[in-house]
Amino acid sequence: MPNIPNYYARLGLPLDATPEEIRRAYRLAARRLHPDTREAGETKLFLDVQEAYETLSDPHKRMVYDDQLPPEYTTPPAVTITTLFSRASLPRVSEPQLIYALLELSAQPSQEESTTTPVNLALVLDCSTSMQGAAMDTVKATAIELVRQLRPNDLFSLIAFSDRAQVLVPAGSQQDHAKIETAIRMIQPSGATEIFRGLEAGFSEVRRYRSSKYTNHIILITDGRTYGDEAQCMQLAEDAVLHNIGISALGIGGQWNDVFLDDLTKHTGGSSMYVAKPRDIRRFLIEKFSGLGQSYAERVIYDCESGAGVQLRYAFRLQPETSPLEINPPLQMGNIPRDISLSVLMEFLVESVPPDAASISLCEGRLTLNIPSRAEPTYTVRLNLSRPTTNEADNEPPPAAIVQAMSRLTLYRMQERARQHVAEGNVREATRRLQNIATHLLSQGNYELAKTILSEADNLQHTHAFSEEGEKRIKYGTRGLLLPASVEEKPQ
Amino acid sequence: MIICPNCQHKEISGALFCSNCGAQLIEGESTSTQNIERGPTGQLEEEHLAAINIPIPDTLPESRVSLYILESGQIIPLVGREEYTLGRSAQGQPILPDIDLTPFKAYENGVSRLHASIKVGKQIFATDLGSVNGTLLNGKRIPPHQIQTLNHGDVITLGKLKIQVLIRQ
Repeated sequence: MPNIPNYYARLGLPLDATPEEIRRAYRLAARRLHPDTREAGETKLFLDVQEAYETLSDPHKRMVYDDQLPPEYTTPPAVTITTLFSRASLPRVSEPQLIYALLELSAQPSQEESTTTPVNLALVLDCSTSMQGAAMDTVKATAIELVRQLRPNDLFSLIAFSDRAQVLVPAGSQQDHAKIETAIRMIQPSGATEIFRGLEAGFSEVRRYRSSKYTNHIILITDGRTYGDEAQCMQLAEDAVLHNIGISALGIGGQWNDVFLDDLTKHTGGSSMYVAKPRDIRRFLIEKFSGLGQSYAERVIYDCESGAGVQLRYAFRLQPETSPLEINPPLQMGNIPRDISLSVLMEFLVESVPPDAASISLCEGRLTLNIPSRAEPTYTVRLNLSRPTTNEADNEPPPAAIVQAMSRLTLYRMQERARQHVAEGNVREATRRLQNIATHLLSQGNYELAKTILSEADNLQHTHAFSEEGEKRIKYGTRGLLLPASVEEKPQ
Repeated sequence: MIICPNCQHKEISGALFCSNCGAQLIEGESTSTQNIERGPTGQLEEEHLAAINIPIPDTLPESRVSLYILESGQIIPLVGREEYTLGRSAQGQPILPDIDLTPFKAYENGVSRLHASIKVGKQIFATDLGSVNGTLLNGKRIPPHQIQTLNHGDVITLGKLKIQVLIRQ
């Protein structure tokens, strides 16, 4: 390990960063990390950033520093970035236009990087009274199965929470499996659900050994709603981002708050998942766990700014783990698995294209990858998206990949709108949208989901609200449409 | 600005799908339903509407409910299920409608891939599944996604394809 600190990585900057970029990156990081706004214990991060800025902002110091940079810092990682656009060019018109960009990042790990990354995982289990029965039993059995799959250098911790949290297994590797299994078997559900208690304990376990050599992650499993501590949870998600820790959540049944858990997890680049029946818990957890172990690049972040008169309206991760993304920069895109690409679809609204513009910048920024298997994990590249302009609109059909993704994403977004309509009290509009979704599903042969949606539309007309279960079935059902066909959920 | 051909919703140009009804707004798919020419009033031509007063055949088939394709004279018995989807098959379509009307010039007649459904219970119901060219019941357009009671001898028109419903009492 080289002794020279990687100042570029600390500020999330490419090696050829301009002085202006350095200033801006420092200002942003300083604002986020300043001791006055943070709790104690985060000061180190702030000092690190300050140290980096002192060198990089001084042209002479920077030159001396750049000369000593070891090759680990300067060799780009084996990640291919491809971008497809829904239109080859933008016509010069004053009316607003939409354009879609499909970003695909795929990994070609080198020989040395071929070993899989160890995980630093905290399993945070909701053990409130409502979990009693099949849900608790399946969660316990699956937790034991996961423990048996741990590799020698994986770090594992286990937290049981209700209205208080208990660290059943403190973070560590090569633990006594028999002892852990006993601890898991002894869990007795009782009490209410206070998610912050569990998350906080899980966070402090993962953070203890947190390093860029691990895939650091918290998996939260819950079946209930948390009251009053949402803001604290969001603050914790913010801290998790600073420490390179991802959070995923698995919700069981209809009672949990999917909107909140979606917000919480996507803030860290993770995602929320839904299972209707306890028997599906196992498959989801095992998949999630093996996914974490197969990750090549962790926490891919696109720190970007939309061009003048351009607005990023929507961003959605198609794979792995389909999920809408938070569109406020920096975009937390998630991870790049070793075997499949990370695909993100972005929708840009271009207000108007001036008659004298030769091209339109959709967004400009830097893409930061964290690759635990590399000698120096953090690497940043510049990534700008722009399109040339033309006098006439071109009539080339958009790439099939974008059309296909949008045909399904449209249904998911119609579902989002329907929920919005209900929230606004517009039941008629919501019902109509649900019926439209059902029509499309029927024509695609997806009878199961179509039936769920139509019965929910019926229910909506009578009760003027979604049923909690139906709402989630529709949301995660339409989200599931975006999965590649091979892993699509079979109707039960 | 683009106007969705299906629901007349306004979309920003460059949109690929209608955000209101989900219809595809761009060219490129050959399997999309053919739009039937409409008269100046936007209504289908008179001849397509004149589907009423069609004589009922004297001998009824064995099954309780059957569909009588008027143009070809063929009769399709509805047996074994409670609900049937009517439409046409198209390339790349994962699941076929229960009653595939392709042999009866469904495409030329403007039948959607999933056009309508018929529910067989105590009573018989028809529902238009949001088809492109719509469904008529005895010459009158029925609103999409709303169930309509069918009686013996009723004629439903999918696009331009006329089908008489035969029900044994």
